[in-house]
Order: sequence, then C-alpha cells, then structure tokens
Amino acid sequence: MKKLFIILGFITAILAEILAVTPLSNLAIAPIIVAFLSGLAILFISKKEKTKTKTIQYIYLLVIIALGLTIYKAVFNTSEIGDTEQLEQREEENLKDSKEILDDLEIDENL
Amino acid sequence: MKYYIFLVMVLLSLNGITQNKTIAFGEKLVYTASYNMSGLLTDIAQVKMETSEVKTSKSTLMRLKCTATTYKKWDNFFKIRDLYESYVNPKTLTPYLYKRDISEGGYYKFMQYKYNHKSQLVKSLKRKKNSEGETWDENKTVKINASTKDIVSTLYYIRNLDIHKATPGDQQNFTVLFDNIEKTISVKYIGKETISTKIGSKECYKLAISIKGSDILKGSNSNLLWLTADANKIPVYAKFKIPVGNGELKIVSATGLKN
Repeated sequence: MKKLFIILGFITAILAEILAVTPLSNLAIAPIIVAFLSGLAILFISKKEKTKTKTIQYIYLLVIIALGLTIYKAVFNTSEIGDTEQLEQREEENLKDSKEILDDLEIDENL
Repeated sequence: MKYYIFLVMVLLSLNGITQNKTIAFGEKLVYTASYNMSGLLTDIAQVKMETSEVKTSKSTLMRLKCTATTYKKWDNFFKIRDLYESYVNPKTLTPYLYKRDISEGGYYKFMQYKYNHKSQLVKSLKRKKNSEGETWDENKTVKINASTKDIVSTLYYIRNLDIHKATPGDQQNFTVLFDNIEKTISVKYIGKETISTKIGSKECYKLAISIKGSDILKGSNSNLLWLTADANKIPVYAKFKIPVGNGELKIVSATGLKN
C-alpha cells in the first residue's frame, strides 16, 4: 500500500512539475493535489508502521516547486501577444490588393 | 392596385435592406479568447474587430477586419495569426469582397470571395500551401442567394438588427458562405441580462447562435452572444461550445463607437 502511494506521489509530482513549466500551468493543479494527498497517505502509513518518511520530503519538495511556479504564473501572467509583424505585413498587402480588386468590381451603392 | 404593388415593394425593400445605424468607421473592439482546460479557463488569444474607411476610384467602402493572435506563451506550441476581412457597403453592410487569410500552427489557407449581387454569383479563390511550401490556387464560381453574406459581415449585420422590437424566442436565419458552401445560421433572441464586463456593467441582449446541418457548434443553446442593449449593440461576451471543448470571448476595450 505504501509503495503504491510512493509511486503515485512521484508520478503526479513529476507530472505537476512538467505542466507547471509549460503554458499549461493551470493544469498542474490537479496533479499537485493528488501528489499532496499521496504524501499525506504515505505519512499516515509510515507513522502507523513506524518506518522512514524520507520519500515524502522529495514528493513535497516537487509539489512546492510546482505550486510556486503555478501561482507565480497565475499572478504575474501578462498575456502579452507575440510578434505581429508578419500579420501586419499581410494586412497591408491584402488591403493594397483589395483596393485593386474593388476598383474592377461592379459596386451598386443601393444594394 | 398600382399603389398597392408599390407599397408592397417599398415594404419589402425596407425589410431586405437595413440601414446601418450601429457601426462607424474607426471602431475598434478588443477581446480575449479563453479556452476551457479541465475546468480552468486559460487565455489563449487576442481577437480584434476593427472598421475603417476604404476609398476606391468609384466608391467609399467599409473595411471590416477581424484578427486573431495567440499570446506569446502559446506561440511555440500553436501559433495563430488569422486575418478575416470583408469590404462592405457602409450604408447597408452588403459585402463586395471577402478575404480570409489564416495561419494556424503551420497550416496556411487563403480564401477570397468576389461578390456579384446582380447575377447572384461569387467568384471564389482558394489558396493553400503544400508540404514543400508551394502555393496552389483553386478558382470556383458559386451561386448564392440574394441575402448571402460572409461570416464577418454577418457578425456586423446581426448588430444592426432591431433587437429591441424582438420578443424572447424570436428567431432569424442568415445564409453564410463559408468554404464555398452556403450555411444557415440561426440567431435566437433569449432575453435581456445584465452582465459585468471590463467596460462596465452592461444590460445586454442574450442571443443563441446555431448552425443548421453542421456540428461545428455543439448544443442548441450552448453558443451564446451578449450584445449591449444600447444603440451600439457591442458584442461584449460570447460563450461557445465546439467538438474539442468550450471557451469564452470577453471584451477588453471598445473605442470609436458610433453612438
């Protein structure tokens, strides 16, 4: 039982870490919760069995880093748009081309 | 009898051609598009809707331009730089030229419609890129209905409807040409609702949008649009449900309004 929680805790903690560094940091919350609960379960079992609790430290360390990153990203998220140089260029080209096309088109202003 | 026919014709023409009372040159609406990821909304892109004046040698037209740009953090994963434009009659919002120039994560497509309303024909041009980066064109002539518009001009046309005269449950259909196929879009008026937005708390008209015979938009009342219940009818909030999830479109700023 303890092994199962250790494996689950480590997998979810690593997954949380990976997600936290990507733009999908919002998704890291679910594995963080699972890793945290696994850590609690390991602590509870270890205390009952009076065995080592070393693994919990590693899981919690990963959880704290992932949580820190997720919170940082959520608070300081500037939502800045990327480079639009190419798009602006396409816009200008299209406008120039459109004017030429519209000059040749039959436009009925009453429609 | 003559007068009767004349009266019917006038009424029909009034019904068919709605005068533009809502959209001005130089209007700029900025939105944030977010996508729902396992219950959490993530901001993905910025959507801009702008209008401007375009003068040709023969006439003055209105350019309706919509752009979608992904935020910097998403660019490495899925870069979107979409451009949709429609050149319309500023008085009636009848489109003459439509262009769709999209670049989505390496996928490129260009569509152009040249309208001929007299003969009810659209000359369409489709341009795509193959895997080697070479472009190829496909020309087609599509027969359309008298009221067929493109997606951009329809969006602006909806804003120009007399929604204040509608009663909850009223529905109107619009024919939209998309990817050379005519599709019917249904707009149903649900009622009034006051919502809080970045440009203040606004009383809005709540509309449900659905596409007939297509599964792009899921659910019957899941795709909603809120237009301010004033003379400008600004689209302030939209909720959409597509096969790969659901998302939202929220207004950030609105400038250059007509009223």
